[in-house]
Amino acid sequence: MGPFRSASGPAERSDPDLDNLLTLVARGDQGAFESVYDRLAGPVYGLIRKVLRDPAQSEEVAQEVLLEVWRTASRFDPGKGSAVTWVLTIAHRRAIDRVRSETAAAEREQRSATAPVAVDETAESVEASLEAERVRRCLDGLTELQRESITLAYYGGYSYPQVAALLDTALGTIKTRIRDGLIRLRDCLGVSW
Amino acid sequence: MKLRRPNLHALAGPYALDALDGAERDRFERHLRGCRTCENEVRGFAATATALALAAAAQPPAGLRERVLAATTVTRQLPPVIARRRGVPAVSRSPWVPRLALAVGAAGVAAAAVLAAVQVSTQDRLNSALAHSQEIAVVLAAPDARIASAPTTVGGTAIVVVSRTERKMVVTSSGLPELPSSKVYELWLMGPGGTRPAGLLPPPSSGKTAPVLASGVLAGDTVGMTVEPAGGTSSPTTTPILVLPLPA
Repeated sequence: MGPFRSASGPAERSDPDLDNLLTLVARGDQGAFESVYDRLAGPVYGLIRKVLRDPAQSEEVAQEVLLEVWRTASRFDPGKGSAVTWVLTIAHRRAIDRVRSETAAAEREQRSATAPVAVDETAESVEASLEAERVRRCLDGLTELQRESITLAYYGGYSYPQVAALLDTALGTIKTRIRDGLIRLRDCLGVSW
Repeated sequence: MKLRRPNLHALAGPYALDALDGAERDRFERHLRGCRTCENEVRGFAATATALALAAAAQPPAGLRERVLAATTVTRQLPPVIARRRGVPAVSRSPWVPRLALAVGAAGVAAAAVLAAVQVSTQDRLNSALAHSQEIAVVLAAPDARIASAPTTVGGTAIVVVSRTERKMVVTSSGLPELPSSKVYELWLMGPGGTRPAGLLPPPSSGKTAPVLASGVLAGDTVGMTVEPAGGTSSPTTTPILVLPLPA
């Protein structure tokens, strides 16, 4: 159950229809929420899974996030970005919160804190979509340092000082590579905002 | 001083990827409020990150849809924020009502914690957990429910939802330092009715504690939290790490 692609195709980065649906959700429209769920549960779960890896934990956090979308729909402001971005920002933050709180707990437990293990690029069951292909192509267009910094931070859930440690590169360099990489990625993807 | 601004500006990238921690994120957010260019850049980066997120889409597990939809039927939605003039800082005397940005996250945490509490229960514990969570849901869904979150003096945040009509409150927390098994975080109601024990926080799971329900909330009460010997005490024996007056 729960095809997360609707007949109109995968969630677009900006989707006026989804913005409208969220407005209806804010008014308590269950049907509208189901449509939002069907469009975004896949990206929400997939993103969280990518960061957390553990399926059970990912499911738990995805559930929190999707319920939060229902609960806080009235706080979505179309003037500040698209509905898709709003929802996926919540999803990413929640996943990161989970990573950071677990890291802190783990560090307290083990007296000798070891560096986090680098993310290996094992192929997840990623939805083969045009978007994924486009993103992959644009990521390929970045320098290696830009690409690694961005994917370790976003998909790996590492803070940029952790990224700097993993890549054995100065903090300031990582900071600017992430920004330069995002600018290139943004332009390559033709993102409008 | 000359280097400070461009340095801060470069944080837009890590910020948009949620790769800043605590103090640095706060500092950048303060900067962001006064920097149109940064705000615009962060917005573009957030849309770019969205593309990365969409590329990671995966089939959600069976059953998630039903659980989420079922949860919506027992979860009250937040009212809209009435538009304020831009540039007017949202300063309030009480943490309770207008700090809605905080409440958004906190309310979600509370509601989700209820669900999590139900989920982790084994079958034989399920019934009592359900009854407990229904009582909690009543507080969360009460029309006069108010929510506040406040940092404790030892770190971490306590989140309190209170309903006057129900005379109950629900308390959860995130990021409180872990205690040795000989100690516990104890909640108190302090006010006209004296100082009464209001429950013990359960051990955290993933940094968060399952909701604790306390009844008998009186007008003029303040919520307090102290560290006490395991099992709790009948009156506080240490300096409170949290003091949060309940809304009038």
